Amino acid sequence: MVGIAGCTTGDEGATDGMAEEPAQLTETIGDGELILATTTSTYDTGLLDAIVPTFESAFGMTVKMLPQGTGAAIETARNGDADVLLVHARSREDAFMQEGFGVNRRDMMFNDFVIVGPEADPAGIAGDDSAAGAFDTIAAAEATFVSRGDNSGTHTKELVVWDQATSAPAGRWYQEIGKGMGDTLAQASQTGAYTISDRGTYLSMQDEIDLEILVEGPLRGGPLVLKNPYGVMAVNPAVHEQVNYQAAMAFIGFCTAPDTQAAIDAYTANGSQLFFANAWAEPVDFAQYVPMGYSADAAARLTAEDREFLSWVDAKVPADY
Amino acid sequence: MSITIEGLRLTRGEATVLDGVDLTVDAGAVTAIVGPSGVGKTTLLRAVAGFAPPAAGRIRYGGTDLWAVEEHERLQLRRTVAMVPQDRSLFNTTVARNVAYGLGVRDGPLERLRMAVGGVQAADGLAQQVTDALALVQLSGMGDRAARTLSAGEAQRVAIARAMATDPAMLLMDEPTSNLDPQTTAVIEEAIMAAVRRGVGVVIATHDIHQAGRIADRVAVMIGETIIEEGPASAVLDDAASPAARRFLAGELPL
Amino acid sequence: MDFGAVIGTGPETTRYVTSIILVSLQVSVTAVAISTVMGIPLALVTAFRRFPGRRLLTTVITTGMGFPSVVVGLVVLLLLSASGPLGTLQLAFTPRAMIISQTILALPVITAVSLSAVQAVDQAVRDAAFAVGATRRDVAVRTIAEARFGIITAVLAGFGRAISEVGSILIVGGNIVFTDGTSYTRTLTTAITVEARQGRYETGLILGAVLLAVVLVINALGAWVSARGGA
Repeated sequence: MVGIAGCTTGDEGATDGMAEEPAQLTETIGDGELILATTTSTYDTGLLDAIVPTFESAFGMTVKMLPQGTGAAIETARNGDADVLLVHARSREDAFMQEGFGVNRRDMMFNDFVIVGPEADPAGIAGDDSAAGAFDTIAAAEATFVSRGDNSGTHTKELVVWDQATSAPAGRWYQEIGKGMGDTLAQASQTGAYTISDRGTYLSMQDEIDLEILVEGPLRGGPLVLKNPYGVMAVNPAVHEQVNYQAAMAFIGFCTAPDTQAAIDAYTANGSQLFFANAWAEPVDFAQYVPMGYSADAAARLTAEDREFLSWVDAKVPADY
Repeated sequence: MSITIEGLRLTRGEATVLDGVDLTVDAGAVTAIVGPSGVGKTTLLRAVAGFAPPAAGRIRYGGTDLWAVEEHERLQLRRTVAMVPQDRSLFNTTVARNVAYGLGVRDGPLERLRMAVGGVQAADGLAQQVTDALALVQLSGMGDRAARTLSAGEAQRVAIARAMATDPAMLLMDEPTSNLDPQTTAVIEEAIMAAVRRGVGVVIATHDIHQAGRIADRVAVMIGETIIEEGPASAVLDDAASPAARRFLAGELPL
Repeated sequence: MDFGAVIGTGPETTRYVTSIILVSLQVSVTAVAISTVMGIPLALVTAFRRFPGRRLLTTVITTGMGFPSVVVGLVVLLLLSASGPLGTLQLAFTPRAMIISQTILALPVITAVSLSAVQAVDQAVRDAAFAVGATRRDVAVRTIAEARFGIITAVLAGFGRAISEVGSILIVGGNIVFTDGTSYTRTLTTAITVEARQGRYETGLILGAVLLAVVLVINALGAWVSARGGA
């Protein structure tokens, strides 16, 4: 009682027995470097060049960005050669978490894919409200379709749509070229072919290519399957001790912070908004933190062995142990 | 100083290229080794020069077995002898640097660096030795010529100058004039005699019997990978004891 | 950097291009230097010493000349990755990793061409050097001097292989540029891949012309060294 009374009086300055100075902030987090593995299409939009310098000066960090194919970026993170991962392939992010390599996933932003083709639209897919339907029409007409064929986020999405469609992407009209998005659009434009593209890259190249958006993405009322969400997550320090986990978390915090989220919304290319920030939503989307389909109940369900152990504890161990 | 070869045997793979050679060569004299092409004259000279240890036998430099001593002592022994190979042995640089080479390798690294960068003049004292050696083969003033631009005769004379510049006790020459015109041959033979007068011992491997007759003090006839006859030049050339030697010297191919 | 406006005019572009040229040269020149120091003695030994497996070694060297750079990059990354056997060195995605992979690519070229050059040196020349009192090391030095034109060609060929390759350094280097526009592991060739995959072909071609200019300068330098060393 006396002690409590003593604490409530004289609150100016330090009192006896309490620390004199506030804890010093360390100059750098870890070795001052954050290695970010991300995809080439994300990198090529220039968004990271716009927001990362703010992070660097706020935290005194140097960020090394590795633009790689989606698969390569995930592999780099899996090997512990990167600290934080930013990709747009939810199923593969989920697998990454299930395998124990990724923790603390957050939604960061989203945009969508569009199906593009020549203005003349020989197959006649314009305005189709089903992506799978449009693909079927293209297949039936055997109109040339160019695929990235490189296990990128875009290619993964394309295969999801083919899965939903009834026709198979096979035949001389279907061309896998193994190139980046800009390159693929350029080639499709030159050969008058159809392809699927993320809206951002398409918008940035609009002036140089002769392709029109024939099937819109969900941002403009198109089919939901063409959604393109981006997730950021840290590499699990339990698996790779050497990763700069604290810096990764600072980066995730930064990316999902209100200021940065606003900056993401404000980022434009050729006058159009490229990304929509979605780290915060009302109500909170808990599904972003765990692999989709993860059930807390199921995880919490104890095995028979554990139940038995707990019953021993109840029976044998005194309450004040 | 003399070099003695005792029971020298050399093999290359399965074949025997030298089969029990015995020979003694002395300073201040010319010994000619004659024999048909391919009989092993070059191999014998290279063995004397210390290129590789023999399969059997000994090579003595003034009594010391060349291959019974440590590497560095062998190097010092080797440096009392200089060999001029047959044809095309000049370095792709100036005449002066060619001639100075043997002197350069005996020098320390600093001197050699100086010579590499600044030429022969930059290295202490070498310039005079180079000049003297070139005078011996009657090529004075040719120091700055590129070796590649020389005629065959001039090139061979420079090679001889290179060997003589190191002031060897013994000079080994492999077919020194076999492809050359008579004038150049004469110049070279004169250089050889000048060297001999200075006390150098000269061993010439040649198939030119007339040359042997002109300049040799002693002649060794090599047939069948060994020396079958050896003695004073006039004795061997005019009246060889062994029938095979006689046949060779008379111009017939040996059996 | 603006989206779609990398090659414009202005200090940012100059800094970017200068830094990628510097990284290209640092990596390739270092790799070639190391390969030369290793390759010339290797060529001499292979040319003039008999040892078991000599023919096999020669075959390995010449095969190495044609080894795909991408494969070398993958192998090096697997070794240097944090999950790999040499992970503790922390070399993945650094310029040093690029030097390592380019050394592996340049070494066979430099060794094979040097081998051919020293083998062409007349045995009589080597014998002459030995027979006026040179040590075996002196003879080796003289052989290198005699083969100097071929060896310069070897070094230039090795440099050509290194400076123009993209497969290995893209994988082991990670194509990293800092946010201030200076390059960490991005070279001219990997910068071209960035432009190409974004469909910015003209920019790619401009960078290609810069690369060609760099190669020309180096080769002109080599030709000048050759001329100085002649006779």
